[in-house]
Amino acid sequence: MEVSLVGESLKFMVLGMTIVFLFLALLVQVMKLQAKLVGKYFPEKEVVTTTSKSAALAADDSAKTAAIIAAITEFKKNKS
Amino acid sequence: MMLKKIFISLLFALVASSSVTYASEHVAPAEAPVAEKSAYVPKSLSELAVSFWQTTGINAFFDFNDGETTSEPKGPAYEKEMNWFESSLGRLIMLLIVFVLFYLAIAKNFEPLLLIPIAFGGFLANIPLAGMGGEHGMLGIIYNMGIANEFFPLLIFMGVGAMTDFGPLLSNPKTALLGGAAQFGIFGALVGAVAIGFGLQEASAISIIGGADGPTSIFIANRLAPDMLGAIAVAAYSYMALVPVIQPPIMRALTSKEERVIVMKTTRKVNRLEKLFFPILVLILAMFILPESTPLIGAFTFGNFAKESGVVDRLSNEMQNSLINIVTIFLGLGVGSKLAADKFLVFETLGIMIIGLLAFSAGTAAGVLMAKVMNKYSKEPINPLIGAAGVSAVPMSARVVSKVGSEEKPGNILLMHAMGPNVAGVIGSAVAAGVLLSIFK
Repeated sequence: MEVSLVGESLKFMVLGMTIVFLFLALLVQVMKLQAKLVGKYFPEKEVVTTTSKSAALAADDSAKTAAIIAAITEFKKNKS
Repeated sequence: MMLKKIFISLLFALVASSSVTYASEHVAPAEAPVAEKSAYVPKSLSELAVSFWQTTGINAFFDFNDGETTSEPKGPAYEKEMNWFESSLGRLIMLLIVFVLFYLAIAKNFEPLLLIPIAFGGFLANIPLAGMGGEHGMLGIIYNMGIANEFFPLLIFMGVGAMTDFGPLLSNPKTALLGGAAQFGIFGALVGAVAIGFGLQEASAISIIGGADGPTSIFIANRLAPDMLGAIAVAAYSYMALVPVIQPPIMRALTSKEERVIVMKTTRKVNRLEKLFFPILVLILAMFILPESTPLIGAFTFGNFAKESGVVDRLSNEMQNSLINIVTIFLGLGVGSKLAADKFLVFETLGIMIIGLLAFSAGTAAGVLMAKVMNKYSKEPINPLIGAAGVSAVPMSARVVSKVGSEEKPGNILLMHAMGPNVAGVIGSAVAAGVLLSIFK
C-alpha cells in the first residue's frame, strides 16, 4: 500500500514540475515576444518627455517670477 | 520583615485551603451553575480568596487535572479536555520557544515583521484559562476572520504584488526558469512526506513549505489539511525567517569559487509598457493553463497592475503599506494562536518541521544546480548563486544571494539579477500550489 502511495507522489512530482516549467517557459517566450513588440512599436521616448516637462516647468516658474516682480513693482509704485 | 512573614503565611494558608477545598468541589460540580443564577450569596473572605486562587495562572499551571479544555476557534463543540502535559509543562516549553523566537527576531533580525507577531500570538495562546484562541477569544476572532477562510493570505499576495518590481525579470527573462527549478523542493518533499507515512493530501500541504512562501502555505494547508495548518504555517514562516542561515551553506557547497565570483552583465532598461502588460500576461496564462491558481495569482497580479498602471498610486500605496501591515499583524497573531501547546507539541509537528527543512534545502539546491547548467549553456555568464533565489521568499533570498556574492567578490552586486528568479519563484510556487489543488479537486 505504501509503495503505491510513493509511486503516486512520484507521478504528482512529474506532473507538477512539468506544469511549473511549462508555465514559466511559456512566460519566458511571452516576455521575449513582448519585449520585441514593445521595442518595435512603442520605443521609449523618455528623454524627450522629461526635457519637455522640465522646460515647461522652468517656463512656468519664470512666468510666475515675472508676475511676482510685476506685482511688487506695481505695489511700490502705488506706495510712493 | 514582619509584613513579609505575614504574607508568606497567608500564601501558605491559601495553598493549603485550596487543596482541601479542591476535593470537595469535585464531588458537586453541578451546583456551580445553579449558584450562579440564584441571588447573590454572601461569601466569607476565605471563600473569596480560595475562588480567586483557583482563577490564577499559578494554580492552572500546577494543578494538572483541573479539567481545562483546549480553545478552538471553531467553537466549544470542538474543544477537548487537556491532558496534564498540555496544561502545564507543554505550556512552559512553548513559552521558552516563544522567547527563542523573540531573540531571533530582535537580536538576529530574522524577519522580525513576521516573528514578533507570531511569537507574541504564541505567548497569548499559551496563557491558561483566558481562552484567547477560542471562538470568542481575541486570537480566535482574528483566526476566523481571515485565516480559516484563506482571506489574509490573498491580501498579503496583493500587497506583495504591489511591492514587486518585475523589471529585473523582464530584462532577463530566462532567469524565470530558475524560479521553476526551485519548486523541485515542493515536489521532492511531497515524495519524502509520503514515504514517512503522511497521507497524500497532508503530504501535499506540508510540501508547499518548500516554496518558502508563507501565504501560499496557509492557503494550501487550509484546503488540503486544515488540522495541520498551525504547524505548517509556523514551519513556513520560520524557514522564511531562517533563509539567511539555511541557504548560504547549501549555496557554497554546490558551487566553486570561480562560479561564485562570476560578474553578470548589467541589465537592460525595461520599457514601462512591458511592466504594465506583464501582470495581465501572467494572469492570462494562469487563466488558460491553471485556473486553480488564479486566486493567488489574481491577487498578486492585481497588486502589481495597480502599481504599474501609474494612475492609482493611492491604491497601490495603500496595498504595499497600510494594508499589508495590518494584515501582517493579524496573520501573525492568528498563526501564533496555533502555537498553543496542545496543538503544536504533537508528534506530527516534528515531522512537518523536518520535511519542511528538507523541502526548503532541496529547493535551494535545485535552483543552484539549474543555474550551474544554464551558466554552461548560456552565452552570457550566469552566476549560479542566483539560482538560490528561486525559492519565493521575496526579497529575503535575493538579498542573501547578493550578500554571499559580495562576500566572495566585493563590489559584485547580484541583487537585481537575483530578483528575477525570486519573483519568478513566487509565480512558480503559486503554479505548483495550483497543480496540487487541481489534483485533489
